[in-house]
Amino acid sequence: MEFSQFVQSLLNGLAIGSVYAIFALGYTLVFSILGIINFAHGAVFTLGAYFTYTLVVGEFSNNGLLKGVALFPGGSPLSGNPLTFALATLLGAAGAGLIAVLIERLAFRPMRSRGADPLLALVSSLGVALVIVNLIQLLVGAEIYNFPSDAYGETPPALSFTLGGKIVIIRTVQVIIFAVSLVMLAVLGYVIGRTKIGKALRAVAENPTTASLLGISVDRFIVITFFLSGFVGGLAGTLVGTAFGVAGPYFGVTYGLKGLAVIVLGGLGSIPGAVLGGLVIGLAEAFVPAEYSAYKDAVAFALLFVILLVRPQGLLGRAAIQKV
Amino acid sequence: MDDFLQTYGFLIATMLQAGLLGLSLYFPLQAGQLSLASPGFYAVGGYAAAILLTNPAFAGLRDTLGNGMFPLTWLAGAVLGGLLGVVVGVPALRLRGIYLALATIAFVEILRVVALNLTVTGGAVGIFGIPQAFGFQDRWQYIFLFLPLLLLTLLFARQLERSRVGRALRAIREDELAADAMGVPPTQYKVLAFVIGAVLAGLVGAMSAPFLNTWNAKQGTFDASITILAAVLIGGSRNIWGPVVGGALLAAVPEVLRFLADWRLVINGLVLVVASLYLPQGIVGALERLGRPRPPQRPTPAPVSAAEVKS
Repeated sequence: MEFSQFVQSLLNGLAIGSVYAIFALGYTLVFSILGIINFAHGAVFTLGAYFTYTLVVGEFSNNGLLKGVALFPGGSPLSGNPLTFALATLLGAAGAGLIAVLIERLAFRPMRSRGADPLLALVSSLGVALVIVNLIQLLVGAEIYNFPSDAYGETPPALSFTLGGKIVIIRTVQVIIFAVSLVMLAVLGYVIGRTKIGKALRAVAENPTTASLLGISVDRFIVITFFLSGFVGGLAGTLVGTAFGVAGPYFGVTYGLKGLAVIVLGGLGSIPGAVLGGLVIGLAEAFVPAEYSAYKDAVAFALLFVILLVRPQGLLGRAAIQKV
Repeated sequence: MDDFLQTYGFLIATMLQAGLLGLSLYFPLQAGQLSLASPGFYAVGGYAAAILLTNPAFAGLRDTLGNGMFPLTWLAGAVLGGLLGVVVGVPALRLRGIYLALATIAFVEILRVVALNLTVTGGAVGIFGIPQAFGFQDRWQYIFLFLPLLLLTLLFARQLERSRVGRALRAIREDELAADAMGVPPTQYKVLAFVIGAVLAGLVGAMSAPFLNTWNAKQGTFDASITILAAVLIGGSRNIWGPVVGGALLAAVPEVLRFLADWRLVINGLVLVVASLYLPQGIVGALERLGRPRPPQRPTPAPVSAAEVKS
């Protein structure tokens, strides 16, 4: 591999890996608190992209029940300007966060109060994913929507330079993705590691019963967790949607599965693990040689399989203590 | 009767097939192993049958064997499923609970991507024009294949449960360490249960390739894993009838809801949510409870769960 190609792959891998990381954070947050895997997370990712698209474009052109319904008379006020687009992205992510809270309320809480088998939560969350994906399809159509090309404003490549006679291009979108992901990680890291809310969250994750005895409202912190999880999931959806320009109802399915590979690779329930896992898988995919690119989607799962056999607790996970 | 079979025969065959797949997941679950690998073995069995029945390389064999070709494909599907079951099972069964589930999801996804890219599997298009088994004229005739297989499997499952092996599997499900301490080697039994499931899934795949007429990478996907798991959990995971009832029911729901047109997939999702919320023991489990005048029960330990992984 030539050096310029190496650098290009490295940069591509970092950008996509950072999205994987923040997406997977949503999974791992919920897992660390409730011990369940929320399979609807991929659907929340898709919803985030759709919410942002709705805010920016304000109208759906594909065949669905909402076809032609204009959200804003006289065009969306949030389009055509990178700053307003950023606002729309945040609102879209918040919308996804609210949906995640709703999912918790309807599909998980009734089960939790009865102490049901976590496996059933898995099926329930899958049912939710089915509902969301098919509702999207019904309401706004099965076809793909393209994010407006000027979503971030008219932007030239952030950086392009020549290395050994070859041009290396870094797209602005990639820089934005990387930067937003880093900021998001830093904020979450701060909230969970340094604030009172974070302390309470960690207490609930460690032992809900003890936490509630200490006066922590467990239900409230579960709601907060789901909101954060949905927020980062939805944000990842918009970032990927704009990087590749598209969003369709099944957009989140692959990410949903890869996110699982990411969190297991890093260590289930570990926040730094999700980040490391995301970057490792993003980079591994970016370095798949072009002639084998058809197998790219298997890379994450091959890594997952290998890590499970070699180090089941993941790269940064704590070894599960065997109950005797 | 003929009219009835013309109208509902295909649905009945589909329900039987779904019940069989549910049972393929039930066997490892009997040893407390949550494996989502069934669609992988099912897909491989189907590919084996599809290739044997359509690939020019086997034309001579087909001419010689005639209808004998179909039992051969079943054998191929079952053997391939079993071999793959050993290859995947031996390393993967060191894992527990959610980790095993994720490893088997990874296995299914890897198989899917490989199937999408090989020439012999027909790539993304898959294999089509698979001849009907024994020259069946109607799709409902597959009931003649699926029903006997289902009955045999149920009989086998019942005998297994009553045997020494079945007791060993239950012991492992309830408490692996205790079983180990009592001299029941968990690994051997877990692999055995896993491989039985794999053989069954491979066999069902081999029978299903002609049934569906085409075979492609969509047959073994994560969605399929979840559908089968949902069937088992909704039917009930602690009784051999659970997977059958759940599989048949989930296969029937989309058909029954056909009048809802575009809304039925949404409703399908809601059915999963509601069933997992309100029938935690599955339908068969709930019926069992109704039938029994509340026996004094020792609290049963929850099956392998994600929460356990954390502790």
